[in-house]
Amino acid sequence: MVRGGKAGLVRVWNVFGPLLGLLFVVAVFSANPDVRPYFLTGANFKIILTQTVIVALCALGMTMIIVSGGIDLSVGSAVALTSVVGATAVLKGASPALAVVLTVATGGLLGLLNGAAIAGLNMLPFIVTLGMMGVARGSAKWLGGNQTVNYPDSPVNRLMALEAPDKLLPLPIGVWLAVALAVLMAVVMGQTVFGRHLFAIGANETAARLSGIRVRRCKLAVYALAGLFFGVGGLMQLSRLTQGDPTVAIGLELDVIAAVVIGGASLSGGSGSVAGSMIGALIMAVLRNGSNQSGWPTYMQEIIIGIVIILAVAVDRLRQRRTA
Amino acid sequence: MKTLRRHLPVLLTLLVAMSAWAAADKTYRIAVIPKGATHEFWKSVHAGAIKAQRELAAQGVKVEIFWKGPLKEDDRDQQIQVVENFMTRRVDGIVLAPLDSQALVAPVVNATKVGIPVVIIDSDLKSDKQISFVATDNYQGGCLAAEHLARLLGGRGNVILLRYAVGSASTEQREAGFLDTLKKYPDLKLISADQYGGATRETAYQASQNLLNRYGRDVQGVFAPNETTTIGMTKALRDLGKGGGRVKMVGFDANAQSLADLKQNDIQGIVVQNPFRMGYEGTLAVIQHLQGRPVPKRIDTGVTLVTLENLEQPAIQALVHPPLDQYLN
Repeated sequence: MVRGGKAGLVRVWNVFGPLLGLLFVVAVFSANPDVRPYFLTGANFKIILTQTVIVALCALGMTMIIVSGGIDLSVGSAVALTSVVGATAVLKGASPALAVVLTVATGGLLGLLNGAAIAGLNMLPFIVTLGMMGVARGSAKWLGGNQTVNYPDSPVNRLMALEAPDKLLPLPIGVWLAVALAVLMAVVMGQTVFGRHLFAIGANETAARLSGIRVRRCKLAVYALAGLFFGVGGLMQLSRLTQGDPTVAIGLELDVIAAVVIGGASLSGGSGSVAGSMIGALIMAVLRNGSNQSGWPTYMQEIIIGIVIILAVAVDRLRQRRTA
Repeated sequence: MKTLRRHLPVLLTLLVAMSAWAAADKTYRIAVIPKGATHEFWKSVHAGAIKAQRELAAQGVKVEIFWKGPLKEDDRDQQIQVVENFMTRRVDGIVLAPLDSQALVAPVVNATKVGIPVVIIDSDLKSDKQISFVATDNYQGGCLAAEHLARLLGGRGNVILLRYAVGSASTEQREAGFLDTLKKYPDLKLISADQYGGATRETAYQASQNLLNRYGRDVQGVFAPNETTTIGMTKALRDLGKGGGRVKMVGFDANAQSLADLKQNDIQGIVVQNPFRMGYEGTLAVIQHLQGRPVPKRIDTGVTLVTLENLEQPAIQALVHPPLDQYLN
């Protein structure tokens, strides 16, 4: 009974820790009376949510990967390549539905390649995805002919369009899609056998294998599934820029990893939560939005986001020491 | 009720007086959004905006400038975020140098939808929502370069154009202006106009070397349409012993390196833009619009030819060394 209570408390804290962090940054920006009337509005939260979508979608895939003890550095390049694939498809006259499918499938294919090398050849995820980062980025530039791919107006652009920019509702379709996928992933990670296996592999791969988990098959599935999420991220990037841009999202992988880590995941695997990662992604978007509106210089933002990442991990360490 | 009716005129007068006072005391908050923050070009734009702010303050018009580039330089998505964040911040106006003529259309349309006027500077936007477009006439810059090169060569000789990059609208306009003007001189022969220098000094230098390897003996004059191609081509000419005016070189956009090359006579002319004036005119334009005064749809900030002869003139010095210290910090 006592034990169950303590474990429950830890779980609650795992989500509430990041949530407190989010409330804290919102409070910091709201404290300034010049900024508050604009910052605390429905219209502004709509903007923040829209700006979070791409990082959040990628973080859903990254949470699976990090929980299972891996890492993926090719996220930014995957987003760029898939967005160029989608833009090229629209330009060549594909229907919006086909363009969407091709974009997402390209992400899945990249993930499958990553997973095959990592699980099949037993290679380090860091190295494999570092290679894929270059391959996908180069392919995006090749496919786009070294420039942005512009297509005539398409329904794809509506996914992330801000209708009525002065009100909270309606939110762009992309926001609802991200929320729905996050709920789905929270169920998959928390309630399914597959989800429990990911935590087991991340915590101790050898023990997981010895207890009968098909580790290789799991890993292949994790990278391929995550690739699909990066493909959806690429689709949203395409819709937001209304063009395919081979140079977009350079360094996005670091934002995504930071979101997952701020959300309470450990880079050594075995811990992390979907809700935490989503809040982590929101924290970074709020920081960016708030420091813009407060007129803080750009370099201050970079310093602050860096400090937040280190603080989040430090808090996580303290927490683990206490519960250990 | 009766007392209210008696006091109503007084109250109304007070209200009108207060709103008039508020209007007089109104501070215009203007977001000026560059493509990046570290290049000297953008610092000049910033200084120009501050100059406009100070002049307006002297006339009793209060302006607050938010200067903010994308967090990662040259990242289109981040620039969209900056525009959106200032939109919900409800600034009174936005002055924007769009990183892309297509990607920034949606956020600009959204800003105008909620009643925030946008002035575009430096690079064009594929939209008709902007109040004004304040920028260099790049085609004119190319014409200026061609005429100077023709003068240097006495109207006859073999000429090379080293292009910059596919899809870059501003440099393509310069190249077009150069080529169109060249047609006026029948004895100027274009021997190469299909090579690209690319984005960095290194790629431009390599392209120049390859080009001169092929045409080095025949060429008498060269035009390069931007900063990197100018520096790369000048270096390659110098390597071959073609510096010092043996091959006439005309470039675009001044910086420390190309000005040093000009002083050494390795470059015979540089066409320069006026970023300081872009920041200045852009800020004035948005304020004028907010005050209900008409603003021209297109404001040309001018191009100027800098040569060794006119380099020391105060007007030219102000162009190539804008008074940044006076306005920034």
